[in-house]
Amino acid sequence: MKHAEKLGASQAEAYVGQSRAFAIEAENSAIRNAEEKRDAGIGVRAVIDKRIGFAFVTTLSKKDVREAVTSSVKLARASIPDPEFVSLPASDGSYPIVKGLFDKNIAELPSDATADMIIRILDASKEVLEGRNYAISAGVQSSSGMNAIVNSLGISFSEKRSSIFLYCSPVVKETDDQTTSYDYQLTRDLTEINPEQVGKNAAELTLSVLGPKTIESGEMPVVFAPLGGGTVIGYGFAGAVSAEEVQKGRSYVTDAFGDVIASDNIEIFDDALLTGGLGSRTFDAEGFRSQRTSIIEKGVLKGFLHNSYTAYKDKVPNTGNASRPSYSGLPSISTSNLILSPGRGTLDDLVSEIDRGVLCRNTADRPNMTTGDLSAMLYEGFYIERGEIKHPLKNTLVGINMRDLLQRINQVGSDTKATLAMITPSFVVENAVVTSG
Amino acid sequence: MEELAQVAIDAALNAGVMFADVRIENSTTTIIELNDGITRQSMASRMKGAGIRAFIDGAWAFAQTTNLSREGMRATGRSVAKLARATREKVADRFKIEGPVFEDNVKLNVKKPFDTVSIDEKMQFVKLIDDQARNFDKRIVATRTIYGELTSEIFIANTLGTRVYLQNTIPRIISVPTAKEGPNRQRIQQSISLRSGFEEMETENAQTIGIRASQLAIELLSSKTAEGGIYDVVIDPALNGVVTHEAFGHATEADNWPAHSTVLEEKLNETVGPEYLSISDDPTLTGMRGSTEYDWEGTKTKKRLLVKDGILTDLLHSLETSSRLGLEPNGAARAQSFMHVPLPRMSNTFMEPKDWDVDELIEDTKKGILLCSFNYGYTQSAKGQFMFQASHGYLIENGEKGTMVRDVSLAGNILEILAKVDAIGKDFELEAGTCGKDGQSIPTMTGGPHARIRQVPVGGM
Repeated sequence: MKHAEKLGASQAEAYVGQSRAFAIEAENSAIRNAEEKRDAGIGVRAVIDKRIGFAFVTTLSKKDVREAVTSSVKLARASIPDPEFVSLPASDGSYPIVKGLFDKNIAELPSDATADMIIRILDASKEVLEGRNYAISAGVQSSSGMNAIVNSLGISFSEKRSSIFLYCSPVVKETDDQTTSYDYQLTRDLTEINPEQVGKNAAELTLSVLGPKTIESGEMPVVFAPLGGGTVIGYGFAGAVSAEEVQKGRSYVTDAFGDVIASDNIEIFDDALLTGGLGSRTFDAEGFRSQRTSIIEKGVLKGFLHNSYTAYKDKVPNTGNASRPSYSGLPSISTSNLILSPGRGTLDDLVSEIDRGVLCRNTADRPNMTTGDLSAMLYEGFYIERGEIKHPLKNTLVGINMRDLLQRINQVGSDTKATLAMITPSFVVENAVVTSG
Repeated sequence: MEELAQVAIDAALNAGVMFADVRIENSTTTIIELNDGITRQSMASRMKGAGIRAFIDGAWAFAQTTNLSREGMRATGRSVAKLARATREKVADRFKIEGPVFEDNVKLNVKKPFDTVSIDEKMQFVKLIDDQARNFDKRIVATRTIYGELTSEIFIANTLGTRVYLQNTIPRIISVPTAKEGPNRQRIQQSISLRSGFEEMETENAQTIGIRASQLAIELLSSKTAEGGIYDVVIDPALNGVVTHEAFGHATEADNWPAHSTVLEEKLNETVGPEYLSISDDPTLTGMRGSTEYDWEGTKTKKRLLVKDGILTDLLHSLETSSRLGLEPNGAARAQSFMHVPLPRMSNTFMEPKDWDVDELIEDTKKGILLCSFNYGYTQSAKGQFMFQASHGYLIENGEKGTMVRDVSLAGNILEILAKVDAIGKDFELEAGTCGKDGQSIPTMTGGPHARIRQVPVGGM
């Protein structure tokens, strides 16, 4: 930072990221490889008036860091000034205390313990699949690291975090069919892990999607389980409430602030302060203090997610949603822990009320963020008739605009689950176009 | 670099492993992004470090270091070998790593190396594209233009004796305008990227990309959403590339065989499609984004005839898969950077052209849909299920191109879709792409001719 200022930067920021990850993977139901990754680097942002440059390097040697600083200043000079840029964020004193981010037991987990967990996953999975033709992939990865942010305006913070990830994905083959599914667990608390559950669930889920069929296309209700709903809302809606997308007119809710955009049973918020949450943190990727931000209340669009740039531009409070891929990028905007408040009923309860419809257990699709049009393949989907799951689906797509999807959520369950995208229960969209063939 | 690689390899061998390899990388990237005429991002980076693998009796270990000193390389070589030995006690499948030995020093000659063009000139180029996109029509309400360049040098060495030095340079220009009329907003993305110096950014094609992107965005304003249903689909070269890549290419990556995770497992040398269908993956094409003389394990690359006349004839190999399956290595192991393990990957993947004239193909399709370009696509090889989304298309009625439609998705099964391809055009084009697998992104190209697929489900609103 000092070097950048000496070279002529009016403001500067340095972000240091350091991490260690240890992973063991199994293929064809047996351990195959181990990996140890240590990563440390620095990203430097230099500001000259309203021009910004950024450079990063994957080492922390003095020479390389100096090169990054020099590049960032040079790039700032070559940039076209951004009249909307005001300043890097300043520290405003009070920072929250967020618990459960670092677990020494995960950071110091011996490699033998990791290998033991993967064997427990495999054994639990094999037990369910006994007598069948199968091949199980599985993995356990423990990671720990710290990030530190310093800027010219007094921000100077660092934080340690750790997490452990377990997954299992069996392939099952039958004479005329072969399929796969998966389950995973990602947590910051080592005492929470349950390798047996991951292995058993993954195997049972795989068996449940054997023998998929197509159905007659038409309009019908769609039940979203947490994994599928999490993708659609956690990526497909979260991206639309990023203030940057809204300011640029690229979001399908650009002109909808204060409007009713969802049914009145919908409450969505972003909470970076959640104890042990996967997206929890004391400060965001620019060092600004974390908070809880309301996005939808009783169906009304109440808030967007900001970093310092978009907040200064709109002259509104910064919500502390700056995010970046460790040291290797400039801050953009993303959710911390995005949460859909639960309603009532299990997934089975929701399914039992459907006369004819489909269940989207998982999808990987996201809408066109500008129009909101979503065409989602049921990566794992089931046909529902008279309140019961009849069979898994293949070659089946659900089509709906996101604005309609939000308005048509007529039931929200209570089976809240933390997925990689967000924390959400199951929910029902009362009507969408289902194409299958 | 050679000496450092040798230190790591010796340390690993002394610790008692059967095979080890090292990739030492020194890469730089520059990214310039303009939004609405203003610099949104100007970024430079340097990736410098080594990835080291050790292998014994079927057990692999991998580690990386950015400490490129003799001590750093020795310590990492030793610790990765120890990790492989510890893992070995728990592996089930025992096998060896074998492969041909290559020694080469490949120099890539480009007309205009990136470092001979000033940062101001690059900024001007991005501004030119951003301005032309924004000034194209007053209904263009937002523009986003991104220029990126990658220069990489990599040295690969292994215990078999391979020593290969590789160079690569790839520029890319992307134009993403948003058009608005009333409540209707449409965004389009167009990009050009090749294996070259800055000269490919100076062609007329690259210098006018903003105009073409904006034109398409404006056209999309009057498009409709497609009605879901079963259609006869004609795909354009860009979309054909995605279909070929997603619906077939991924399933031919040979690491799927030991893992039993592809629906093609029993299909090698068997019929997988009609006899007029051939699919190739060719890293030896000059100037293409997915091209490389050697792969990231130091194996010389060659053209792979994945499907020849309807028969699955070749797979995409790493040294591990060719060793375990007893097949010829073909240099398909690629990694995103030294921080990643090389995996069997595609390079430039395409359907081989045949004999249909494009206009006749559309005329012959009485009722259907022409799908163009792509937003994205993905596949799950173990299940055979894939999905991709065209950015736009046109309904075909009575053999004529009609109403424009947008964001059309298509889902299907790998083993079913190829059999439904009933006509293949004689035109040919390749488009720039980026392929993701196990968290690693690599530059690829995909393409082919226009082709028709009968009776597939197309998603609608």
